[in-house]
Amino acid sequence: MMRTTWISRLLTKKTDLPVYWAAIALGLVGGSLSGCGLQKDIDVELPAYPPQLVVEAYLENGRIPRLSVSESGPYLAPPTLQVPTDVQVVLTQPNGRRDTLRYGPNIDRSTGKGYTHSGNRRLTARPGDVFQLEAYDTKGRRITGTATMPALVPIDTVEWKFDDKPGDQRRAYVLVKFQDPANATDFYRFQVHKGRLTEEAEVEYTPDDRLTNGQLVTLGTSYEFEPNDTLIVTLYHLDRPYYQFLQSVDDARGANGNPFAQPSGVRSTVEGGIGVFTVLSYQRRQVILK
Amino acid sequence: MTVRLTILSILMGLGVLVPQVVQAQVRYVLSGVVRGVGASEGLPGATVAVPALGIGATTADDGSYALTLPAGRHQVTVSFIGYATQTRELNLTRDQRLSFQLAEAGNTLGEVVIEGSGSLEQKLQTTQMSVDRLTAREAKLLPALFGEVDILKTLQLKPGVQNGGEGTSGLFVRGGSADQNLVLLDDALVYNPSHLFGLFSVFNSDAVQSVDLYKGGFPAQYGGRLSSVVDVKLRPGNPEKFTTSGGIGLISSRLTLEGPIKKGKGAFLVSGRRTYFDVFTRQINRLNNDDPDYNPIPDYYFYDFNAKANYKLGDKDELFLTGYLGNDVFGFNSQNGFNFDFSWGNTVASVRWNHVFNPRLFLNTTASLTKYKYQIANKLDQFGFNLSSDIRDLTLRSDLDYTPNERHALRFGVTATHHRFGTGSLQAGSQDGSVNIGSDVTYYGTEAGLYASDTYKPSDKLQLEYGLRLSGFQSGSDAYGGLEPRAAVRYSLTPNVSLKGSYALMYQYVHLVTNTGASLPTDIWYPSRQSVKPQRSQQVAGGVSWLLGDGRYLLTNEVYYKWAQRQIDFKDGAQLFVNPDLDSEFLFGKGWAYGNELYLEKKQGRTTGWIGYTLSWTKRRFPPQRGTNGINNGNTFYPTYDRRHNLTVVVLHQLNQRINLTGSFVFTSGAATTLPLGRFAFQDVAGAEPSAVPIYPERNTYRLAPYNRLDLGLVYKLKPIRSGGESDLTFSVYNAYNRRNPYFVYFDQIENEDTDEVLGYRARQVSLFPVIPSVTYNFKF
Repeated sequence: MMRTTWISRLLTKKTDLPVYWAAIALGLVGGSLSGCGLQKDIDVELPAYPPQLVVEAYLENGRIPRLSVSESGPYLAPPTLQVPTDVQVVLTQPNGRRDTLRYGPNIDRSTGKGYTHSGNRRLTARPGDVFQLEAYDTKGRRITGTATMPALVPIDTVEWKFDDKPGDQRRAYVLVKFQDPANATDFYRFQVHKGRLTEEAEVEYTPDDRLTNGQLVTLGTSYEFEPNDTLIVTLYHLDRPYYQFLQSVDDARGANGNPFAQPSGVRSTVEGGIGVFTVLSYQRRQVILK
Repeated sequence: MTVRLTILSILMGLGVLVPQVVQAQVRYVLSGVVRGVGASEGLPGATVAVPALGIGATTADDGSYALTLPAGRHQVTVSFIGYATQTRELNLTRDQRLSFQLAEAGNTLGEVVIEGSGSLEQKLQTTQMSVDRLTAREAKLLPALFGEVDILKTLQLKPGVQNGGEGTSGLFVRGGSADQNLVLLDDALVYNPSHLFGLFSVFNSDAVQSVDLYKGGFPAQYGGRLSSVVDVKLRPGNPEKFTTSGGIGLISSRLTLEGPIKKGKGAFLVSGRRTYFDVFTRQINRLNNDDPDYNPIPDYYFYDFNAKANYKLGDKDELFLTGYLGNDVFGFNSQNGFNFDFSWGNTVASVRWNHVFNPRLFLNTTASLTKYKYQIANKLDQFGFNLSSDIRDLTLRSDLDYTPNERHALRFGVTATHHRFGTGSLQAGSQDGSVNIGSDVTYYGTEAGLYASDTYKPSDKLQLEYGLRLSGFQSGSDAYGGLEPRAAVRYSLTPNVSLKGSYALMYQYVHLVTNTGASLPTDIWYPSRQSVKPQRSQQVAGGVSWLLGDGRYLLTNEVYYKWAQRQIDFKDGAQLFVNPDLDSEFLFGKGWAYGNELYLEKKQGRTTGWIGYTLSWTKRRFPPQRGTNGINNGNTFYPTYDRRHNLTVVVLHQLNQRINLTGSFVFTSGAATTLPLGRFAFQDVAGAEPSAVPIYPERNTYRLAPYNRLDLGLVYKLKPIRSGGESDLTFSVYNAYNRRNPYFVYFDQIENEDTDEVLGYRARQVSLFPVIPSVTYNFKF
């Protein structure tokens, strides 16, 4: 997992490269100095941080729309998730119909994911359809967002190949091929889950087609899967705002604790707050490595 | 044409080119070169004077001088601190050349002869302000991290110069960034002057003679960078006899060989250095070979070679050759199919031809090659990729020095550089060919400069130095250029007090692409293009120098104000690697820096040293542009290297003939840094494992704790093992009182170890180096 993520990131997001190696250099020089008490807790006084509304909304064709609206808080505040109870959410369909989503926080038992607002009917979404989201509370905070469903990019093939190692050491890599559309810059999210989707992905990265536009693209893993592993391979086709949001979340998390990184803000797909509003377009295959 | 006319007008206006009024007395030019005994290259900054007439001059960078004297007998005195003063008599009946060889005053390895960087009197009298000269001999006496003497780090102890972080060798001069320094090695540019991600500079102190750091008042011969000139000169070889010198240190060893090529004709010097981290880490890896949980330590080492040679082609011609080759090599080869090789380094070569037309006219013509390259080769199972980037310069420059009379010293020059920018080459693929992608982006550019300057001394009290540089850059169909006026003035209020002022305008046509705030080997250089226009800065400085205590102390105070346009930064989340559309990632803004530098130095006696204090501000502003809110919503912010206060104290004391004690103390205000103010919970599509995402509303809103550190050193001269041989032990203690200086701060989760439940958050401060003692053995025979 670690190694795969590593090479994938090198290929897909080169800005991490110097940061990674600078960290290694520091480790090299300072490694022998570890254990010398070079870290300590300190008190920091940060400027006041006004909480903002945070929305996570992933619409899917054929599913009841469900989303979460929470609140950001000061970093060093207690880790309790703040869920405002006075937020109204309105989802506007491509045909202009405005649906007010019902507030009712709950946790999906099958996935462990939390929601605060749900719709009443299953969504119909086709590539190119444009949805709008509006969430506002009684304090005057208002989030708005627009999302267009990207076209589906189908998986062409899923292949795997075992190495020549004996017995228990035998491992396979997986290759996924798909045809990249030629007419625009495309963004993808590639995931390989083992067994079930609710666990963290074994392999995940978010490539673009800067170097592969219009080509038959192959994404792969290293030799890391065992015989009879059940793998779920997912290829999301992202629009640019969602891709940038994912990248910026990754950057923000990576910058905390890295002296060489340039911290940057999360690039939300919504305005007036933080978060993401998007329509998912993906294809998923399940394979058993025989 | 306009430029030429402007230069001519200026020069004619000051009477340089106007025939001099017929002299009442016949005058001739006395010229030559001042060298140290056993050295083939001149001593810059030495004083050549005729005390009876009150006429004197300071030697130039190559040790040359020229005096216009009345015909007749004169007593000429040559002095340079650290060397024995020499006086010679002559009868001047024509233009005449007279060179001097000065014996070092008690020069043995390890003795406190820290001067050699110009006398205080000279510093008082010179028009040039905002310059610090440091010799390798000075740097070698001071304590150093891991015992690795580093002349660039020693420069960080001078006022107006900040470092880029604990232990790093990058220079941030008067609010400029590290890429705005023009780093020259014997007139050839060095693009990445550091090893090990900035922890050590590429300059081996055994091969270096001196370095001049210009912080402002830039002479017209320099151009191409905004903030400083770091002019490093390699040491010439010994023309009299073959010698070997070197040292064995905690992390590296050095060896230098030098000697005559042909007696009286020329000399050579070759010097090498290599670290041996890898020797130890391989042993550690071997010892842990059987531990399945052990993560092997990657191989790492760096090495560099310096070479210098000079050869006299005749009475009027001499050739100088300089070469540098250095590389950092990082390798990791695991048994499970993960191989990683990463190397980077500079190659520099230059040849300079010195021709003396006559005692009034010298010509130096230099051809040089500079290359910096990094290369990454990575293989993971069936996948592999190669990533590389390089920049290569070919430069030809010519400088003409002309001394028409004792009031004027003219310098003209022209320089042209052809750049090749390989901003990124990527090849990635799998062994079976199912994955194969590649990209290669290369740009070309030509940079040129033409300059003229004059040092004019209308009276003993007043001296002016003024010049004009015309610079230009062309890349593809894009071309840029501009005039860069330079001026400096010195007025002597009294024999012990001088007032000085300067102005300089600079252009920078090549830009470093980095968003890390540190000098890393993967940083790339990028040419000015249609959407990335040249950077520009102007600086004014004023100062007073006061010679105190019968000439034993020099107190200098300088104020400066610098303003810069088209400063460069990058969009949040910019793709800087192998990006064919890199232009779109740039952001442009303005910068300001101002401050006051106070400097007291003592260069003679058993106890020497200096105290420097800088009060400064550095600011940047990047307004909304290119679909972004700029940086910090267009508000002014402090870059990370902004420091309000900076105090340095350096003391060197000769206890006796064999023991020298040294110490340096540094205090600086905390660096500006970025901390997240808030966080939010992010579930992602799956939602099973929510994580905290930091929120960074603005850059550099938090200040780290102030930095302070005391380093101590002791040089103990050993008894000679053989006749003529010398050796010493140099002890250093870095961070003597073991202060935990902040390197960075991060926020951490406090978790229940059993349940992984997040209990809270805390701020953690990380320090890099605790107290580090080291010892180095140096020898010479």
